[in-house]
Amino acid sequence: MNTEAELVKKLKNPTLKDMAFSELLDVYQERLYWHIRKIVITHENADDVLQNTFIRVYKSVANFQEKSTLHTWMYRISFNESMRYLDKNNKKQHEDIGDISESYLEVLFEDEYFDGDEIQRKLHQIINGFTEKQQKVFQMKYFDDLSFRQISEILSKPESTLKSTYYTAVKIIEEKILL
Amino acid sequence: MKKSKENSNQKHFLNTSVKGNISDRHKAFLGTTLPEDYFAKSKSSILNKIKEEPQIEQPKKPKKKLVFWMQPQFKYIAAASLTILLSLTVWLQNSRNSEDIQENNFEQLALTDDVLVSSLFLDDTEIDAFAETVLFNEVLVKAELSEQNLDNLILNSLIIEDSLLEDYMDDKLIETIIL
Repeated sequence: MNTEAELVKKLKNPTLKDMAFSELLDVYQERLYWHIRKIVITHENADDVLQNTFIRVYKSVANFQEKSTLHTWMYRISFNESMRYLDKNNKKQHEDIGDISESYLEVLFEDEYFDGDEIQRKLHQIINGFTEKQQKVFQMKYFDDLSFRQISEILSKPESTLKSTYYTAVKIIEEKILL
Repeated sequence: MKKSKENSNQKHFLNTSVKGNISDRHKAFLGTTLPEDYFAKSKSSILNKIKEEPQIEQPKKPKKKLVFWMQPQFKYIAAASLTILLSLTVWLQNSRNSEDIQENNFEQLALTDDVLVSSLFLDDTEIDAFAETVLFNEVLVKAELSEQNLDNLILNSLIIEDSLLEDYMDDKLIETIIL
């Protein structure tokens, strides 16, 4: 297995780029997919955004300045791509429905690739009631298993604030699940 | 008893280890699933899309155009030579002009109306030459003028009636002779 630095070096080398990109997909495809899926809700949307994300990564990797890790950089790209996708495709849908929170749960529960039980549905409802910041921090930390430092780089927020946000979110979930 | 077990599961919901496959984790906590062999199919789809994308060429940096180049030590010599040549040209041009002006001045002063005042601007050595020029101009101009008057007189005599011819001839002829 290559280290991340070696992988970046190969990605920047035109002759090794395609081979390195295949390796990159093996390592990060699944992680980025789940990160995207939690933002755009359905599998179909996540699939589209994942493809756009990797095409953007392929095009921009030559300009990657290595100020952050490759992982963090790709997370940020996938986050931006997800937001762009939502802006483009869901604006009209949300306007028609009127309530974004309601539409989020409706879309999720109707998705072909959702198979949640009562507790899982309840967890979705609780997360959906969080502020946008709480949602992002909790999902990145709890489900994507990112460190606070990585989340701080992606969201450009201080680590201390993120920790406080995360523990507040955990407390809310524990209290509401027990009710 | 059953309720107690359920509560216990709920209490430890967030404390359950999240190690292992990220897809399994998402299925377990969020109830989200995937089509079979999704990541393998998605990888091949992304790689195909990348092949279809036009290759991005790095913009070439425009080469700095070299207009003229010299060794630094020759640059100063060339610059000094050019300056000297330019100064010489200007100086020679000025000295020639001043000689011309002096000659022109002499001629111009001789043609002015107030000859006595003009003579004050000349050196003593130039006075004789100036007097000759003035005299020459006077004689030449007056001779020219009297010739013109005579011509006018003859021409006018042809126009004026015969009865007045004699008087006219007398007056004008006397004037011309006096002049």
